[in-house]
Amino acid sequence: MLTSQLDHQTRTLTDAQLAAGGGDIVTLNGADYWRDVQDRIEGAIQVDIEFDSFKDGRGFTLANQLRQRLGYAGRLRATGDIIPDQAGFLKRVGFDAIAPNRGDLAADWAKAEAQFSLAYQPANDRSATIVSLRERAGADLTQLNAKYREQDALEVLRDAIENTWKGRIAILSSFGAEAAIGLHLVSRVAPDTPVLFLDTGRLFAQTEQYQRELTDRLGLTNVRVIRPSEIEISAEDADGKLWSRNADACCDLRKVRPLEGVLGEYDALITGRKRFHGGDRLSLPLVERINGRIRVNPLSNWSAEEINAYFKRYDLPRHPLTEMGYASIGCWTCTAPASDDDVRSGRWSGQDKSECGIHRPSPLEAPVAAE
Amino acid sequence: MYRYDEFDARLVRERIAEFRDQVERRIDGRLTEDQFKPLRLMNGVYLQLHAYMLRVAIPYGALRAEQMRMLATISEKYDRGYGHFTTRQNIQYNWPSLVDIPDILEELAAVEMHAIQTSGNCIRNVTADPFAGAAADELEDSRPWAEIIRQWSTLHPEFTFLPRKFKIAINGAAEDRAGIRVHDIGLQIVENEAGARGFEVWVGGGQGRTPRLARLVKDFVEPRDLLSYLTAILRVYNQHGRRDNLYKARIKILVDALGVEAFAGEVEEEWSYIREGELRLPESEILRIRSFFSSPSITDVSPVPEAGPAAFRHWLKHNRRDHQTAGLSSVVISLKPIGGTPGDATAGQMQVVADLTERYGFDEVRVTPDQNLVLPHVRNEDLFAVWTALVDAKLATANAGLATDIVACPGLDYCNLANARSIPVSQAISSTLEAEGLSEAAGEVTIKISGCINACGHHHVAAIGVLGVDKRGEEFYQITLGGAFGADASIGEIVGKGLAAEDVPGAIARILKSYLAQRQGDERLIDTLRRLGSDAFKEAIYADLAA
Repeated sequence: MLTSQLDHQTRTLTDAQLAAGGGDIVTLNGADYWRDVQDRIEGAIQVDIEFDSFKDGRGFTLANQLRQRLGYAGRLRATGDIIPDQAGFLKRVGFDAIAPNRGDLAADWAKAEAQFSLAYQPANDRSATIVSLRERAGADLTQLNAKYREQDALEVLRDAIENTWKGRIAILSSFGAEAAIGLHLVSRVAPDTPVLFLDTGRLFAQTEQYQRELTDRLGLTNVRVIRPSEIEISAEDADGKLWSRNADACCDLRKVRPLEGVLGEYDALITGRKRFHGGDRLSLPLVERINGRIRVNPLSNWSAEEINAYFKRYDLPRHPLTEMGYASIGCWTCTAPASDDDVRSGRWSGQDKSECGIHRPSPLEAPVAAE
Repeated sequence: MYRYDEFDARLVRERIAEFRDQVERRIDGRLTEDQFKPLRLMNGVYLQLHAYMLRVAIPYGALRAEQMRMLATISEKYDRGYGHFTTRQNIQYNWPSLVDIPDILEELAAVEMHAIQTSGNCIRNVTADPFAGAAADELEDSRPWAEIIRQWSTLHPEFTFLPRKFKIAINGAAEDRAGIRVHDIGLQIVENEAGARGFEVWVGGGQGRTPRLARLVKDFVEPRDLLSYLTAILRVYNQHGRRDNLYKARIKILVDALGVEAFAGEVEEEWSYIREGELRLPESEILRIRSFFSSPSITDVSPVPEAGPAAFRHWLKHNRRDHQTAGLSSVVISLKPIGGTPGDATAGQMQVVADLTERYGFDEVRVTPDQNLVLPHVRNEDLFAVWTALVDAKLATANAGLATDIVACPGLDYCNLANARSIPVSQAISSTLEAEGLSEAAGEVTIKISGCINACGHHHVAAIGVLGVDKRGEEFYQITLGGAFGADASIGEIVGKGLAAEDVPGAIARILKSYLAQRQGDERLIDTLRRLGSDAFKEAIYADLAA
């Protein structure tokens, strides 16, 4: 905290310290060069740096040099023509007190000082930089992955929902071929966990039917159906054929953007992606960060056999289309039955496309490694 | 393309909240106009001749489709349905109202954009090669470094109240398309003898009333040291740069005054103290930022089309650029229609560009220092479809790099600093040169127009520069010749007395005719100017003019 001081208070404080055998108050001007003041600040208990104009930023460098080059550790006070909007900067270069010319704006100073919770640059107030926070977040992720590797999917979900991202986590579900597993596991932890269901307007009727059936059977109480914007559809896909011209643009319109609209409400999303799906998913970690948001993939290392066993064990209903050879189910426009060895081969078959984009930052970006 | 993480996003939100509060405090008087001015400037808000102007940052000129779409939306919702792309790769809105600006900033934040430090005496948007990550002559993609610098310079506690504005450019290709010699700091990515990559650091370039080419201050800075070295330069400048005279406050004047060796010595001393400190870039952070910037890889490689309508082939000839990946091309979308306003785009045009970016451009579009747009990555087989859509949107002018690809500042039509109008002069030159067939005939020519000595139109670094001056209440235009931007940068020389506005197009046409008559082989205008000197063109400029 920057201490706001009127002059008489300073004098009182200083007198007390002087009486206790303290030192001097030295007044510098922002225009002074740090090398020239070395002798003057020796033995000082307080240094005032006076700003002739708030627009003259030399005092910021002077303060920084006092703290860093001259190792000055006493009280450092900014005086003169300074404005509340500079509070954060003053603090970060090493000031710990202020005495502005204009004394009636204490509330504005307090507010301004709390305005920013983050900064990119290292500074003398020792606040964490964004770069270090990122490193820490990366380390947290590494630790979390290590912890989750020792746990089964239910334990992972219990930690994620009840502890790590409590109240800020949702499950993303397609209500597709394998969706029942993740939803069932979540329902065992907390059936009121938000379930985000992207209704693209192009879903199979069977998917909609299955969604109602599963919701009912698992007692899910918080299914959020997310739909694309009608305005955007009429602008970008007036004839409803965008999928045939540009599947990426269609996914973007009907899945990526609608999901982005609600992402801000959650810190983490649970997905049902699995490594055996292949492609980009081969290296899928249990926890990852995409665009600064967490994806928890508790089923990442499940095999097809484990999935079948789980369906049997809990007698979960299957998606009606699985009987017809559909192993992965998206929109009817871009989904076909799959080949035996590759469950996602029926998605956008014949195209160089294997993902809709909701789990990827953008077509050009590599996902940020989490492990 | 870089994507914000939770930290970047939070900082931008906090900045908007701060600005909203500042507007309120200005309105109720807790902030004086003198105090508010630098604060609003650092949020991109200018008070122009007729209205407020908002300058939105386009960091290193790169946009995603949804961001371009948002720029279009803002122009329709809060402005007059168009925006103006600038030589510093930003966009300006000329007619927003002050009370709307915090809302505009919120809308921008939703697509990871801001207006932070687009003006004011602070570190501005980093200029980069608009073809970065695509250019065939590239050593290394400069965008990750531009992003690292963007973050380091944002709300810098020590360098937000500098003597004067501060501009950094970075180039990673053989040809310098970022203008590193005319920025306060220019960084060139180089490879040293040991094969390691690093930065050559040039300091003290700039235009304005005292044009200077930057001087080489350090021939190799290791990547991990980039931010500590930049900090050392800024610290020397912040302490010693002049504050007594607005016109002598840029770092170029300090470098002049100290001499480049003494200046470099000061920087070195400061740097030696901080080099091993917290500013050292962790390898993990460099890799993290770099992971956002990749170039597309494609499987089906098609050649550049050779058939098609003549207009299409003509457009390919002038507006297509080679790409570093086989099967891809970069294309320039000219914002220089014949007789139009350089750099302006309507909301509808921005929407078309956004659609093309999404559909054919791998979700990337760039703004260039020449006030054009670039789709850096287009599959060769999609070039025709892109061209067709551009034709419909009146964006297919085939003049990238030609004489009608004119750069001009807003001038007296908008700007309260200007002495003379730039836009109408530019329009007249463009129409005249096109009508006389000179744009096509003269090949690679740069014409740049500034409405005052501040040189926002970059006239100093044009083969033909036009500078508007005010002489006893009348607008006059001085012609400069021989300037160049880029690796062989030079400052143009003033040739003779100023011309009236109506005489400028004819004079430029005569310069080009004289060049065509005197050139040797396929010599470019700039080469002929350098060989013959600008005086050789004096007669052409003043011929036919009443004494």
